[in-house]
Amino acid sequence: MSCEHLLNTQSYLDGELTGAEAAEAERHLGTCAQCQAFAAEAAELSDRLRKAPRHAAPAHLRAAVLARLDKEPVRFSPRSFWMGAAGGAGVSALAAGFALLALLPPSIATLTQSVADAHARALTAGHTIMVASSNHHTVKPWLAAHAGLSPPVTDFAGDGFTLTGGRVDEVAGRPAAVMVYAHGNHEVDLFAWPDRGADLPGTSMAHGFRITFWKAGDMDYAAVSDMDGAAFQKFVGLVRAQRE
Amino acid sequence: MDDRRRRFEAQALPHLDAAYNLARWLSRSPADADDIVQDAMLRAFRAFDGFRGGDAKPWLLTIVRNCWLSAGSATRRRGHTELEDSVADAGPDPEEAAIQAGHQRRLDAMIARLPEDFREVLILREMEDMSYREIADITGTPIGTVMSRLARARTMLREFVKEGS
Repeated sequence: MSCEHLLNTQSYLDGELTGAEAAEAERHLGTCAQCQAFAAEAAELSDRLRKAPRHAAPAHLRAAVLARLDKEPVRFSPRSFWMGAAGGAGVSALAAGFALLALLPPSIATLTQSVADAHARALTAGHTIMVASSNHHTVKPWLAAHAGLSPPVTDFAGDGFTLTGGRVDEVAGRPAAVMVYAHGNHEVDLFAWPDRGADLPGTSMAHGFRITFWKAGDMDYAAVSDMDGAAFQKFVGLVRAQRE
Repeated sequence: MDDRRRRFEAQALPHLDAAYNLARWLSRSPADADDIVQDAMLRAFRAFDGFRGGDAKPWLLTIVRNCWLSAGSATRRRGHTELEDSVADAGPDPEEAAIQAGHQRRLDAMIARLPEDFREVLILREMEDMSYREIADITGTPIGTVMSRLARARTMLREFVKEGS
């Protein structure tokens, strides 16, 4: 036979009551032997349960979860005005936006700005890499799946430029595959997107980054980095040599 | 990385341990908990646009519980006792670890004897620090039911402890 105030006492013990209700429950607890016994036992039990090791997610599970998130399609945020105007109509607006952009080759100034912006945005957010791997057999299919693009992916570790991973980004509103390389403390992003007949800028500086563009096969490329000019030219030379 | 993924990693991913802990106690199997949590995180990510902000933990635990339910009664009734890996975080001293493991195994076995409805409210309250309101939301039951199940779970567990000692 338990006290009719037992649930109320329990609420008090669990910190669910405040003010007058808490004061009332406390008063009752002071006078009721049954509730006092319940409180003592519940406290001991609670203590044991809280001391029990929580099952922490094993490392392999964390990795598996991240890998599955990586396989999810990237949704671009509605930055362009017509996507904004479409008011989150989502995929169709996105497709419409891309279709429209496909008809309009971006201007030279837009391209330079766009690549520099994308590089700076990724660096600022600390998320330059979505798939971390020095293995081009990992990076290439990931880019194919996420960006729908399959540029050649080569590691130049022997020449001082180590492939560290890849990501999907945007250049002038279109998806681009990005291969990320490390050179000492510097990072260089290699962007690739389908050639849409746009004229490409040459080498320039924007936001303090060195940027250069070229065409190869049916793709446009851009390299962007804060490396010094000599290292930058060496990297571009290596990439172009394996592509042309 | 897109903004949605970034927000998900900042708000939902920190509760991965809580998700796994709940899945472990519900399923009582490391392998099933793995599957449940992977499924839950993916569902959570896909539904993340519908998350209204605030604390993502009860929201995520609701999804974990739903995934466990939809994992099927076969998994739920199997009644595993695979506890070997639960001692991994017991500490560097092997003797102490063994004692801890013994305590843990007994406690785990006692919690396992609780009916599912009672077990989940106890885990949510005592291990995950969820409020009555949050437990009611997660389990889809009225607050009054949460309170009575919690009291019942505590009474039952106390009886098991008495029997065991």
